[in-house]
Amino acid sequence: MGSVPKLVIPASADLARMRRDRMHRIHAAMGEQGIDALVLVGNTNVVYATGAIWPLADAGRVIFERPVAVVLADDDVPHLFSPLHTDDRLREILPEDHAHGPAHLEFDEGVEIFAERLAELIPAQATVALDEWTHALRRAGSLVGKNGAPIDGGRVISKAKAIKTPDELALMRQGLQITEQGIAEVQARLAPGVRQTELTATFLRTIFEGGADANILDPIWQIMPERIADGPWTTTGDLACPLLTTERELAKGDVLWVDTGVSFEGFHSDFGRTWIVGEEPTAGQRAQFDRWRSIMDAVLSVTRAGATAADLTAAAIEANGGTKPWMPHFYLGHGLGIDSAEMPYVGSDIGEVFDASLVLAPGMVLVLEPIVWEDGAGGYRAEEVLVITEDGWDPMTDYTYDPF
Amino acid sequence: MTVTEIQPDSAQLRAVRRERVLAEMETAGIDILITGRESNARYVSGVPRLWLAGSRPFGPGCIFVRASGDIHLVSTWDEGVPDDIPREHLHGITFNSQNTLAMLTGIDGAAAARTVATDGLMPSTVGLLRKAFPDAELIDGEQMMRSARRIKTAEEVDAIRASVRLAEDSLAVAAKTFSAGVTERGLTAAFMEAMAAAGVTTPTTQDVAWITSPTDRWARSTRDAAVSPSDLVAFDAGVIRNGYVGEIGRTAAVGGLESVGNAPLSRWDELWDRLLTACRPGASGADLLDAYATTDVPAPPVPVARGLGLGNDLPLVTHELPRTAAEQRLEPGMVFALTAYVWEEGVGGVYGQEPVLITDTGPSLLSSTPFRDSRSLTP
Repeated sequence: MGSVPKLVIPASADLARMRRDRMHRIHAAMGEQGIDALVLVGNTNVVYATGAIWPLADAGRVIFERPVAVVLADDDVPHLFSPLHTDDRLREILPEDHAHGPAHLEFDEGVEIFAERLAELIPAQATVALDEWTHALRRAGSLVGKNGAPIDGGRVISKAKAIKTPDELALMRQGLQITEQGIAEVQARLAPGVRQTELTATFLRTIFEGGADANILDPIWQIMPERIADGPWTTTGDLACPLLTTERELAKGDVLWVDTGVSFEGFHSDFGRTWIVGEEPTAGQRAQFDRWRSIMDAVLSVTRAGATAADLTAAAIEANGGTKPWMPHFYLGHGLGIDSAEMPYVGSDIGEVFDASLVLAPGMVLVLEPIVWEDGAGGYRAEEVLVITEDGWDPMTDYTYDPF
Repeated sequence: MTVTEIQPDSAQLRAVRRERVLAEMETAGIDILITGRESNARYVSGVPRLWLAGSRPFGPGCIFVRASGDIHLVSTWDEGVPDDIPREHLHGITFNSQNTLAMLTGIDGAAAARTVATDGLMPSTVGLLRKAFPDAELIDGEQMMRSARRIKTAEEVDAIRASVRLAEDSLAVAAKTFSAGVTERGLTAAFMEAMAAAGVTTPTTQDVAWITSPTDRWARSTRDAAVSPSDLVAFDAGVIRNGYVGEIGRTAAVGGLESVGNAPLSRWDELWDRLLTACRPGASGADLLDAYATTDVPAPPVPVARGLGLGNDLPLVTHELPRTAAEQRLEPGMVFALTAYVWEEGVGGVYGQEPVLITDTGPSLLSSTPFRDSRSLTP
């Protein structure tokens, strides 16, 4: 019997090696699907395929200013069509003949121009796939496959990105550390009279100073009610979460559910904890935390390569006395990587059949986020970020559960 | 005003926006409109939702039925949802396309729909909609929404002006950290902190400062590079307040712009004056591109004019799309970010951007201290 290989995450990433590994995976997935050229429009897919990093803009602004990547089956270097400033990174990864002006796929004229440029790169009969389509592309009949729709190229990236390489794990860990440095400053500021938006101000300053490339969601500092009925009405009859941040002042004893994340080197981080404003937890709140800990421990005890998502949900339900310890509109856990939530989803409404079919593999990064809720006495929620190994899992962070 | 509760957009704003969308749906013969883009969903529903950075794949977010006027929204809760969207029209977040399909087929009027429009497309969208609306034709809803949203109401202009003011104020606070040695990232940090401290936590761009290069028209080294006294540093300040975008662009040098040289500045002024002269009702986007050509300044890779509103607004004028530019007419009530960029070898770039409102008599700037009048980062 050979011993199980240990997962070693390097202190810093070899970016050139990481790009080579990714291109190898993309090409392998393209080969399996018979794709000659892959057109990528989704921001994070472009980041994955090219290694280009830029501060993500708001979802509205990006629509007219999106970088577009084209990966050819016989070329190890991707093409990038973009309005981005050329920076040291782009100069290093893209030769001049692979760096092009922006592609405007939202406009008929832009589609005509892109089609001409694409024709210079690939033969007319090439099989092309793309991750997102536009009405302008559809009108032009561009990139249409057999069924009147394009071949879904997004699957190439979902497949390639699922298992993180040691270089990728090193970057993810750095991104999580930047997030938690910001969170530590926020937590130090937590006091009655401070506004939710002031917590955001501190968080945003710290993450950019710490090296984050972007914030990825409006940070959540949700003041939790004691009873579900005291919060907004929901389609599920369960908790409403996450609710938006306002200038509301925190009061002594408020229970906050914190959820946030940043972007670093193309990877998204995730952070979740429960805080109490200006007070130590009560005995009841401590008991909730202990119960949460026992649910998390139960899930972690079955978490390893080869386990299914259903194994994790079963452990969580058993530890919670027979009911699901997570919010029905979300999940017990989700994958993390170039997207804030990606496969593998564990316990989502995709259903139990899917959970039973989803097998964890070494190098998958999982965020587990069970909750404990006692209607009338509030609840506890936190997130644990971990990487799956052959014989179990390794933690990706070591942030405190303070004040618990 | 301090905001401590999430509220929908005002009843008046919702009514006028929906009226415009219905009129466009009528003209285009659209029975059901499915929007996934936050801008379009907000325009129709009036509901603030969680801000996320980056592009999003298309998925149904808000559905508008022409015959009944019913609005359906993908939202698990009713916070920020106005009374005119009843609870039975709220649909929980789902990760399962079968549930999305069930939501669509369950909408009153779905079976009778002959024309369905979406504002985005995934490769899978055509198949999904064919199942949900077997007899309907799928058409472009994005063009229709762009048309509906193009002209701003007075209330919308006020909202944009308020956002611009916040962008100006936040940049003024960030400017206090502007000195030799500060990095692009550091300046972004200061801007974001100021914005959030003022009560708004949602930027439009997170690339706030850019040290222009003296050797390349559109380059930077890294965001960790430190500002030196000889650098021309461009600023892009953009915020979203109550859904509406306010943006300005400025350029500064540590020792004052004049310390770096007057040549690009005077060319910038010349370009700006020509651009602003072209901002009159009836002019086309091509006239804005001509202003660059006449001044003999190459246009930047980013749009010269980009609509301001809830996001992805018209006009969009870029030298990359000359025909599209020529097809767009400037009309009273349009609001856009107008950009002048002049670069000089050995010196760097001067970047200035103002929010422009087209009125019956010409352009009106929504910024309080335009770059042409004041070279300061502080209003």
